[in-house]
Amino acid sequence: MTAVQQTPATGTAATASGAPPARRGPSSIRPRRTPPPARKGLARTLPRTVAGRVRTLTALALALLLGLLGAAWWAVASAREGVQVIGYDAGPQVVATGDLYFQLTEMDAQLADALLIGGAPGGGRDRALAAYDRSRAKAGEALLQAAKLADEYTEDTTARELVFALGRYERLATQALDLDRRAGHTSGAPPQNVVLQYRAATDLMKLDLLPKAYNLTLDNGTLVRHTYEDRRSDVLDGRTLILVTGVALLVVLVGLQVYMAARFRRTLNPALALATLLTLVLTGVSAVMLSGQANHLRDAKDDGFDSILALSRARAISNSANADETRYLIDPGRADSYEQVFLSKSQTVLYLKAGNLNEYNQAVQKGLDFERGRVPFLGFFGTEASRSTDGRQRGALVKVLEEYRRFQANDRRMRDLVNGGQRAQAVAAHDAAAGDYVRYDKSLQSLIEAHQAAFRAAVADGEGGTEGWYGVLPVAGVIIIALTLIGVRPRLAEYRWSR
Amino acid sequence: MGAARSARSRPARSGSARSVRRRGAPPRAGAGAVLAAGALLAAGACGVADAGESSVARKDSLVVGVNSDQPGVGQRVGGGHQGFDIDVAKEVARRLGVPPENLTFKQVGYATRDSMLRSGKVDLVVASYSITPERKTRVTFAGPYYVAHQDILVPASDTSVKDVHDLKGKRLCKVPGSVSFPRVHDEKGVAALPVEAGGYAACVAEMSAGRMDAVSTDDLILAGLAAQAAKDGRGRPPRFVNAPFSDEPYGIGIRKGDLDGCEAVNKAITEMYQGSTMRDLLAKWFGDTTLKVTTTVPQFEGCD
Repeated sequence: MTAVQQTPATGTAATASGAPPARRGPSSIRPRRTPPPARKGLARTLPRTVAGRVRTLTALALALLLGLLGAAWWAVASAREGVQVIGYDAGPQVVATGDLYFQLTEMDAQLADALLIGGAPGGGRDRALAAYDRSRAKAGEALLQAAKLADEYTEDTTARELVFALGRYERLATQALDLDRRAGHTSGAPPQNVVLQYRAATDLMKLDLLPKAYNLTLDNGTLVRHTYEDRRSDVLDGRTLILVTGVALLVVLVGLQVYMAARFRRTLNPALALATLLTLVLTGVSAVMLSGQANHLRDAKDDGFDSILALSRARAISNSANADETRYLIDPGRADSYEQVFLSKSQTVLYLKAGNLNEYNQAVQKGLDFERGRVPFLGFFGTEASRSTDGRQRGALVKVLEEYRRFQANDRRMRDLVNGGQRAQAVAAHDAAAGDYVRYDKSLQSLIEAHQAAFRAAVADGEGGTEGWYGVLPVAGVIIIALTLIGVRPRLAEYRWSR
Repeated sequence: MGAARSARSRPARSGSARSVRRRGAPPRAGAGAVLAAGALLAAGACGVADAGESSVARKDSLVVGVNSDQPGVGQRVGGGHQGFDIDVAKEVARRLGVPPENLTFKQVGYATRDSMLRSGKVDLVVASYSITPERKTRVTFAGPYYVAHQDILVPASDTSVKDVHDLKGKRLCKVPGSVSFPRVHDEKGVAALPVEAGGYAACVAEMSAGRMDAVSTDDLILAGLAAQAAKDGRGRPPRFVNAPFSDEPYGIGIRKGDLDGCEAVNKAITEMYQGSTMRDLLAKWFGDTTLKVTTTVPQFEGCD
């Protein structure tokens, strides 16, 4: 009878071989002299003794544990980096550069206002110009921010071209204002030379500055998208890796338990059992935590960042459409063109099929009811309606749509007056509708705020979800290693004793 | 897992006391685990690479869907294609790293553009393809690379037409299936008189012959026809009214969801405007006409 069985560890053969080898005394583990069957390849590298197998299994368990901990560490680091970039670094910065477009449209709108009001009493022109200056300062800040975020040559060039174009715009604006002051006109459409000068400025804004500002924010946004996709896929890969190594580790630990129970006639090795249980918990909890992290990242990106950016664009484009009403009044020579861009901007914000503004307004007034899975309109608000699940966001959107309908109805009234030859009443109606526009803008801002709240919550959840894991992982690792060694060591000691 | 099982079940050779404490085994097992983890990571990386292969941003060759019947914009001439759209496609492909010999053009029609993109028969569509919210639900659009406008072309001698409203009572070309005449007549409410023709090339020819007063559709298409007419030497080239009344953002169609490809194409378009490429191309194809072209980069749609 030999101490080292050639049969598998389990089954009757093992028990037939009798008690653990240590009890047999030194002679019993002496090598057998009969030549063993030749083993080839990998088989030659496998341990041939009980202790060797126990050691191998233990070492394998430790290696897998290190793999598990490494994967978890890497995944946690990826999750934290993703949250950091989207929640604190590039995410909010990109949202800030989105403000550039809004401030530029605001500058052009205030310039149009100043020219429309002219030297009429009430100080309206000065107020408009003060607002113009505020917007210019904010636009400068946003542009600086966007330039800092630029990580490619083309983006850099776009930012530089924007600086130059802004300078040219300022010069044209100043000239238009000077001409207007000299003409000394009061409320209503300014004289033709002023209008021509304003056209040059607003064309520069429309054709050069605004597209570049818009594209720059789009470019900046790709940075966030790439970080998001990379980090989220790292987190999901990490989760897969943890599950694979975790299950492998469990198999090894259970195998070790069963093998030792068979070979050493112990029913249960408590330390090893505890290590197994801890591994199970660690694997399960890490996988669940990482699934949560992947979801938090997605919420922060889709529900937060993307929506905030899209709605900020909708707000800026609405603002610019509102200014097109003023331009329509200032420049009757281009009334057709301004009416057409008003329609095109409106359809960007909320798309309903319509050939002209009148049809569009009718379609909007017919109702903008929507339910999940059945949104009858497209555009920015269509996207928002399709993805809106949260109650607060939905409520805010319903309010926005209500205000949008009023905005469009006011527009129709103003244009009908112009078409009826009542230009002065149209200008008055446009002024009177300013309050309605502010209400629409406010409702849009609260919708954006609802998404910002969701964004903050997702970022906070993301941060909280990985909190302490850099501590948990090494501690859990040390405990599992210790328990495994405690479980295995006495059995190996029997061999050492026996030598 | 496999390593663990075989370590347990393989018959051991002989019970040498020395082999009980063999040192070799643990590192090997460790190496096995590292290998297993490595293989898993590699599998993950492959998955990502596979998804990336189909993006136009990383293709070695491209098939571009183009028009074949629009002089100056996209026209089949002899064995090849030529026009503004064709040159734009070549420049974009070059900037995506696709050499000219790996670039193929394929004719697409109004009805087939979306489905050919979806089925992968073409990788890009550059075919005066207007971006609309409805199309955006089926196709991802890079660009626009140019915003065309519906405008009006009149004989050089005409001085009466200054904007679309002046078309009232004029004989205006009507191409069945095109939205251009209805846009003037129904949407703008201008009572122009319809004169039917088989296509816009025919419209311009008819106008030169004095059988109609005006042609109205996308300005780039009109400019291509006007440049052609000037080249053919058929009298004085017709005049652009330069009073646009619609926006037609010409986008580059990409398979839905290829965001990397869309971003790469947008970058290419940005570069073309930052250098002199776009200015040169616009001058090359439309410089001989009285159309006022825009030489600054259009506002992109965004890829998502």
